[in-house]
Amino acid sequence: MTEAASVRVQALQKSFWDESRGEIRAVDRIDFDCRAGEVFGLLGANGAGKTTTLRILATILNPTGGTASLNGHDVRSEPEAVRRSLGFFSASTALYPRLTGRETLEFFARINRYPADQVSRRVEELIERFGIAEYADARVEKLSSGMKQKISIARTIVHDPPVLIFDEPTVGLDVMAALEMQSVIRELRDEGKTIIFSTHIMSEAEKLCDRIAIIHQGRILALGTLEQHRQATGQHYLEDIFVHEVMAVEGSP
Amino acid sequence: MDWNDVWILYRRELRSALRERAIVVNSILMPLFLYPVMLWVMFTGLMFVAGLTERANSRLVVLDAPSAHSDLMDTLRGRPSLEIREDRISADSAEVLIRVGRLDAVVEFLPPAAEARGVEENFQVLIRYDRSVERSRRASDRVESVVGDYRRRWVEREAAVLEISEVDQQQFRIVEDNVSSGRQMGALVMGMLIPLFLVLMVALGCLVPSIDSTAGERERSTWETLMTVSASRLSVVTAKYFYVATLGILAGVLNVTAMFVSLGAIVGPLLADAGAGPDAFQFSLPLLALPVMIVAAIALALFFAAAMMILAAFARTFKDGQAMVTPVYWLALLPILLGQQTDQTLTPAIAAIPVANAAMMIRDAINGVFLWPLIAETLAVLFVMVAGCLLLARAVLQFEDLLMGSFDGSFWRFAKQRLRGSNVTEGTR
Repeated sequence: MTEAASVRVQALQKSFWDESRGEIRAVDRIDFDCRAGEVFGLLGANGAGKTTTLRILATILNPTGGTASLNGHDVRSEPEAVRRSLGFFSASTALYPRLTGRETLEFFARINRYPADQVSRRVEELIERFGIAEYADARVEKLSSGMKQKISIARTIVHDPPVLIFDEPTVGLDVMAALEMQSVIRELRDEGKTIIFSTHIMSEAEKLCDRIAIIHQGRILALGTLEQHRQATGQHYLEDIFVHEVMAVEGSP
Repeated sequence: MDWNDVWILYRRELRSALRERAIVVNSILMPLFLYPVMLWVMFTGLMFVAGLTERANSRLVVLDAPSAHSDLMDTLRGRPSLEIREDRISADSAEVLIRVGRLDAVVEFLPPAAEARGVEENFQVLIRYDRSVERSRRASDRVESVVGDYRRRWVEREAAVLEISEVDQQQFRIVEDNVSSGRQMGALVMGMLIPLFLVLMVALGCLVPSIDSTAGERERSTWETLMTVSASRLSVVTAKYFYVATLGILAGVLNVTAMFVSLGAIVGPLLADAGAGPDAFQFSLPLLALPVMIVAAIALALFFAAAMMILAAFARTFKDGQAMVTPVYWLALLPILLGQQTDQTLTPAIAAIPVANAAMMIRDAINGVFLWPLIAETLAVLFVMVAGCLLLARAVLQFEDLLMGSFDGSFWRFAKQRLRGSNVTEGTR
């Protein structure tokens, strides 16, 4: 399996230093890998280490130990190549309010080295795909959150990266927008993208993810398909599986 | 670092900035209109006030006027600008009336001083007035002028009686001849205003963009988006730095152009109307002054942009950024004050003081003085400061918590903490 992996994480560690609390291990020697055409889910409560892990993969943060690579590029030694192979979407990756949707897509295509002579065609393609033609030339600050979300997804994939990270992408979205997001993620998987998807919403992970890693206090407690988790824990629902795994570490409440 | 990436990022910064009202107002509209308009309002206002004072009569009370000098009293009464009140009051009450503004001056004739008593019917004049009040000061000047003229005529008459010629009487005299041309007088005015406003405008032009491109990005949550693009961190910071400096230069150049035009089109005619004459102030610049001023604006903008961005990088919100960066703007004023002596030119010592050196270099250029070795020293000092700031920025941005905006504190707290060697992680490239 590891031969075909486009994301590989080995013994990854990240510690922060806090003056009052000392060393905090946000990510504690985790291992996983993901393949093309797969949605890999990181499931955990708030503060479990999901975002820190994904930020390391996106080269926003440096790991304090271990290795991680995307598309064969090491996050430490080839950060620019990693970022070129990656689309990163999270609740904290906002759009530039004073650019129009079209300008936003053009900017992110160019800065992520999409072939210059194909930028316009690619932008038009995405405008059509996401149905944003009507407001593509309006400034982002004037748009509704649903419209911004579509532009934001288009921004994430405009340079056609092989790996996509969605960090809690449905936080703050209404039901219809969240469903639309899930549908886009499925489409992208079907196109052969490697997708890492973090969430704390069990139903989302259940519906979307081919494999799920349950992460708690910086460590991966269990990793496998939903069926493998069911067999390992004897629980049917992911929520029960999650509680079972966490309790096994923490002890009964 | 990839220059193509820098160019793409720079254009994005500039495009966003030119759509932001605060930046357009601070970096373009204010330099272009506010200070020239202020200049016009200030000059017009001053002249209006001066005109009002000039037209107002001076209210006087004359005490103990000597009968032998009735001509003097006639002259005083004959002046339309002097209004002599016939009140019979004491010197003390007159002083009270001056203080409350009901009188402008009291002219009191006194017996001559002991050494002057030999001259028949001699006297001395005591003018009481309030120096803090323009109208009272003007009254004193008017009385002094009339008495002075009377004294000159009286001395000439007495000298004629004693058969003393004018030459023997005066022995020597002072003749004044102002050799400065209208161009030089114009340069004097420009030399006082343009360096001051150029420095301030460059600093003001850098102020909002430096905060907007750092703390503003964090506040809008676009910083993390930017951290995921394939360009290197160095390219991102370089593009931001050039963008901030560009707006600083733009503000400086626009302001100087606007001021130069307003001096010629507004202030010149106002001064001519005020009696200075049509050619008394000519506002023109030596050709070489333009490149010197542009180079100075570039060097200042690079310096202010670097200094302000370092401080703004510690802010998490725009408001924090304003609090951290605004002191730099006011600090810029201090060195300029050093260069406000109009007869001073650039010296090796002044050329070593950042900002003051640029202001002085600009003033010299306006006056047609080009001290090339000192201009080179000035630019070298400014570029050394820029290099120092950039090295500091590079050192500071290596820390992950600062790069990600998770450090909670100011530059000074950061410096103290890092000098102590706390556990820190290096940022990504």
